[in-house]
Amino acid sequence: MKNIYFKVALDYIKRSPFQAISAIVVLGLTFFVATMLSVLVYSSGNLLKYFETRPQIIAFLKSEATPEAISAFQNKLTGDSRVKDVKYVSKEEALEIYKEATVDNPLLAQLVSPSIFPASLEFSVSDLSFAEKVIEETKEEGIVDSVGFTASLGGEKTLGSVVSRLRTIIWYIRIGGGVFVGILSATSFLVLLVIIGMRMTTKREEVGILDLIGATPGFIRSPIVLEALIYATAGVLIGWLSSFIIWLYLSPNIVRYFGDIQVLPKGTLNFLGFFAIVLVVELMVGAFLATSGSMLAISRAKKSR
Amino acid sequence: MGIVSFKQVSKSFGDIIALDNVTFDIEKGEFVFIMGPSGAGKTTLLKLILRELSPDSGEIIFDGENVGALAEKDIPFLRQKIGVVFQDFKVLPERTLRENVEVALAVIEVDESEWQGRVDQILKLVGLFDRSELFPAQLSGGELQRVSLARALVVNPKLILADEPTGNLDWETAEGVMDLFEKINKEGKTIIMATHNKMIVEKLNKRVIEIKNGKMVSKESKEKVHTKMKVKVEET
Repeated sequence: MKNIYFKVALDYIKRSPFQAISAIVVLGLTFFVATMLSVLVYSSGNLLKYFETRPQIIAFLKSEATPEAISAFQNKLTGDSRVKDVKYVSKEEALEIYKEATVDNPLLAQLVSPSIFPASLEFSVSDLSFAEKVIEETKEEGIVDSVGFTASLGGEKTLGSVVSRLRTIIWYIRIGGGVFVGILSATSFLVLLVIIGMRMTTKREEVGILDLIGATPGFIRSPIVLEALIYATAGVLIGWLSSFIIWLYLSPNIVRYFGDIQVLPKGTLNFLGFFAIVLVVELMVGAFLATSGSMLAISRAKKSR
Repeated sequence: MGIVSFKQVSKSFGDIIALDNVTFDIEKGEFVFIMGPSGAGKTTLLKLILRELSPDSGEIIFDGENVGALAEKDIPFLRQKIGVVFQDFKVLPERTLRENVEVALAVIEVDESEWQGRVDQILKLVGLFDRSELFPAQLSGGELQRVSLARALVVNPKLILADEPTGNLDWETAEGVMDLFEKINKEGKTIIMATHNKMIVEKLNKRVIEIKNGKMVSKESKEKVHTKMKVKVEET
């Protein structure tokens, strides 16, 4: 790109600073919301994945279950494509888990012996829609005493509804956010169209002169398209940076609140990498909006000449 | 064949015939006046050479190319070979005098490192070197016309078209601008100038193509025109 195009584009911006500010603010707002939404989509997706795939089902085994029967049942589960992460927890291991859970009150652990804890098989399902069926089948196994679930999900009856509610929320975030970003993008596009259209109107005489002295359409178009690209780049950087700072500020609290659930990219490098990808995508979208908006404004101005 | 040839060229705007079957040749290095009253078709003729307009019939050959048959995408390249000077100067109001001249170099994609040397040389030629950083609003009409001429010349065009370049200038300033045109012509540039200013035509004593109501009424040699003008002036 030639220096003269940049120089002319920057001159255009300097001569109409309020138009430039309007364009940058609208684009900045669009990309701010887009960045916020990108993180929300990532977080909600991870949240859903966590609930869908964490070990949820615990089959408590009868005390009379023989090691052969347990092993056979474990093999059966392992071979089931709907089931994953099958783990056998012996009576002793169960006691250890209990001790860890009651570490604040060691007396409780001293009062119990491994014999009162049942051995169990813990596993999760590859998709939550299989859960109820798998649980029913597990209950019918002769060596299974009872079937339990991860407490946070509220039990068998509410398992489906929790995930279903989570799915609905995520759907709203994705669709609602997408529509909102779409509306903002359309507004940005229109603002660019109007501003570049105004530029073309005020530069009509200049364009006419350039045309007469042999300027190619590309020469006439370049500074105007570049002006729109400068608006878009500035808008993306401002919107992205504002959102990045907010997430950076909030991330310690969010990570603490969600604990094991990885709602934000884990580690500094992953966190920065995620935001870098969002920035690159937004720059591409911004370039598309700027190029298409300015080209349309130019072609409309040409038609009206 | 000359550098510019009109072969039975006609152009109408609705019922108005702007040019009717016009034929002439202009040789390389010639200085030719297109004369005629307002509305005679002088500007139309220049616009046809510049392919601002297309002829209804006939052929316009410039530098061996049929201008009327050029594709839309080739028109800028035709115009890059022609320097144009307008009655209303057509300078870029928001650019300095130097930038106004530089833009012509940018259009023909001359390397930026060459700009300063070429622009300085042209500005010295038109006598505006010391005003190069001024804006058009700070210049007089004569100076603006010289900017327009500098912009036309800096690209080293094969042809200079001037449409009433002295139309907005007083006689003294016009004389200065015409001296400049003559100087440029002496250096070998072909110039076609539309004017209705007979005093200028007489002063320079060049070939005249006279147009009236779209028809060419004469394409006299400079000697004939000179004599005819002299007679007319003596009669008045």
